[in-house]
Amino acid sequence: MCGFREIILCGLMVLAPIARAADPLPIFDAHVHYSQEAWERMPPKEAIALLRKAGVTRALVSSTNDDGNQKLFAEAPDLILPSLRTYRTRSDMGTWFRDEGVATYLQERLKKYRYAAIGEFHVYGADVDAPVARLVVQLAKQYKLFLHAHTDVDGVERIFRQDPAARVLWAHSGFERPEKVREMLRKHKSLWSDLAFRNDHAASGKLDADWRAAFMEFPDRFMVGTDTYTAERWHYVVEHANWSRGWMTDLPRDVAERIAYKNGNAVFGSMLKP
Amino acid sequence: MTKWKKNLLVGAVVAGALAPWLTGVTEANEPGIIEFNPAEVSRILSHGPWPMNWSPDPSNRVSGSTHAVDLGERLFFDEKLSVKENVSCGTCHVAEYNWTDGVKRNQGQAMVDRNTPTLMNMRHHRWFALDGAADSLWAQSMRPIVDPRELASNATHVAQYVRKDADLSCRYEKTFGVSPAKQDDETVLVGVGKVMAAFQETLVTEFTPFDQFRDALARGDKAAAALYPRDAKRGLQIFVGKGNCSTCHTGPMFTNGEFHDVGVSHFIDGDSKKVDGGRHDGIKKLMASKFNLLGPYNDDTTRATAIKTTHVKPEHRNFGEFKVPSLRNVGYTGPYMHSGEMLTLDQVVRHYSDLNVDRLHADGESLLKPLKLTQRESADLVAFLQSLNMDRAPPWRGKEYANPPCVLNARAAADDTYAP
Repeated sequence: MCGFREIILCGLMVLAPIARAADPLPIFDAHVHYSQEAWERMPPKEAIALLRKAGVTRALVSSTNDDGNQKLFAEAPDLILPSLRTYRTRSDMGTWFRDEGVATYLQERLKKYRYAAIGEFHVYGADVDAPVARLVVQLAKQYKLFLHAHTDVDGVERIFRQDPAARVLWAHSGFERPEKVREMLRKHKSLWSDLAFRNDHAASGKLDADWRAAFMEFPDRFMVGTDTYTAERWHYVVEHANWSRGWMTDLPRDVAERIAYKNGNAVFGSMLKP
Repeated sequence: MTKWKKNLLVGAVVAGALAPWLTGVTEANEPGIIEFNPAEVSRILSHGPWPMNWSPDPSNRVSGSTHAVDLGERLFFDEKLSVKENVSCGTCHVAEYNWTDGVKRNQGQAMVDRNTPTLMNMRHHRWFALDGAADSLWAQSMRPIVDPRELASNATHVAQYVRKDADLSCRYEKTFGVSPAKQDDETVLVGVGKVMAAFQETLVTEFTPFDQFRDALARGDKAAAALYPRDAKRGLQIFVGKGNCSTCHTGPMFTNGEFHDVGVSHFIDGDSKKVDGGRHDGIKKLMASKFNLLGPYNDDTTRATAIKTTHVKPEHRNFGEFKVPSLRNVGYTGPYMHSGEMLTLDQVVRHYSDLNVDRLHADGESLLKPLKLTQRESADLVAFLQSLNMDRAPPWRGKEYANPPCVLNARAAADDTYAP
């Protein structure tokens, strides 16, 4: 039974979980770019401040070229998980998978710096079997890194044929329908999906039924991401985090927490520890 | 006959009608003659005829009313609508500048963030303002009145002014059939928006050299088509062909009326701490506005006009998108782009020629690629764009009225004879 002091204590104990539930969800942002225009316009301190303002507790970040990434990592190693992009300049986007110069660049960076992943890179279908794309899959295996792949279903299949043990974060879930994403997640146990630059899973804080089924079937395999592909988009990080929190209220709290940050922490959390 | 067979037959008849014209136009062996293939001809014809048909806006019960047009024009140029009585809508929307202002960004009570859009042909648009924050011309017409940077006014000030001015009050009653004294402030403000919209609906660009060519093409008049300058023809070929310009700048209005990211910086005034969210912010403003077409001020009892608004939702891609402008009279609407950062059409063409793909999402505007135009091709494209201008700049319009003072009488409704 509660006396007066106990009543207060009991009340606090009852209220504590409610207060926790009402706290804004931390966000693991799995899709951030900090490319040259961004770092020229927004120094690392400002960029980190924006991430923290959004409640982003960790972020998988890549930049073109990689120098921006390193600047950001140096500023906040507790927050930033660098991912090595396969582009020295954006013009490499359509050709990198055949470019020996990119191969040399990647090998040099991997020797010099620490990363959590290679990507986000764009490559589709049969180009995944091109020489430099193959090398990237092998480098990921050698350095125990994730592959952050902006690719199609065929591309995902080809990566896993090259290395069945590869760990792949599928950028934008391939812009595939939820049924296909579920099919791929069922088939490949080391495939995760990011939801960056997609709106089809939720509108006005409500989940699409097919996507809800995907999240409920694979609560451990999805992550959110802002995709800051221009400098201006850094000002969208807060908006995106809040939007994500909005639709996640339509999920059971434990599933929401996993997609918001726990999956990212579970998968990448042990990487790049000092 | 099945529907697809009918379509096939109609297509064959149209192609047959065009065939002689095509062989006639092409005259490929003659130097300097521009050859248009059937796909190009089809695209060219889709940019007319001009002017387009129009019917009054059902969401605005005074759309098309002569009384509303008259009152709307007076209020449009009336600085007393602003709290400081120093700015009117006509301050930034100047007739001789094609109802814009010729400057990068303008100032009311303070500097605004965007270039002033033209008011020409507004009656054919679906969304209003560069971010589409309004879904009707009348709702858009109210926004600068209450924007602190522009007229900085409010419903009370506007309503009191219209009520106290006997002539305006009379014209208001003539238009709406009710005295502004009998309406609340907000209703009067909406009424002001609606008469201003009625006025703006009368602003329509005239026939252009391009229209002459397009119509000549449609009727197979080679002599008339030959009058269209060769550089404009070459530019038109780029516009409907490798430039892919006509994919967004569609139809007789040369706009699809929607919103796109064309890789233009949307930091405000170059300040890295301030960003213009464009269409994303516009949708949020639209949905939050009680003056949208879902609200109580929509006069369309069927609510058919509001269907578009029920379907609009902000998406990530909308961040940094701005409305595709109409290109009619484009030679008179510079500076260009949402922020007015490009002073000339040459600069605009250069932007698309040297497009910075770093600024575009890989799965976003997939049509946009650097056009890599030669100097001559760029000049040709500009020549074509200039052929979308009326032959004369729009004539002066301002706050001088010959009309006699307003008198209310029983014939007011019968006098309302505006025919669009």
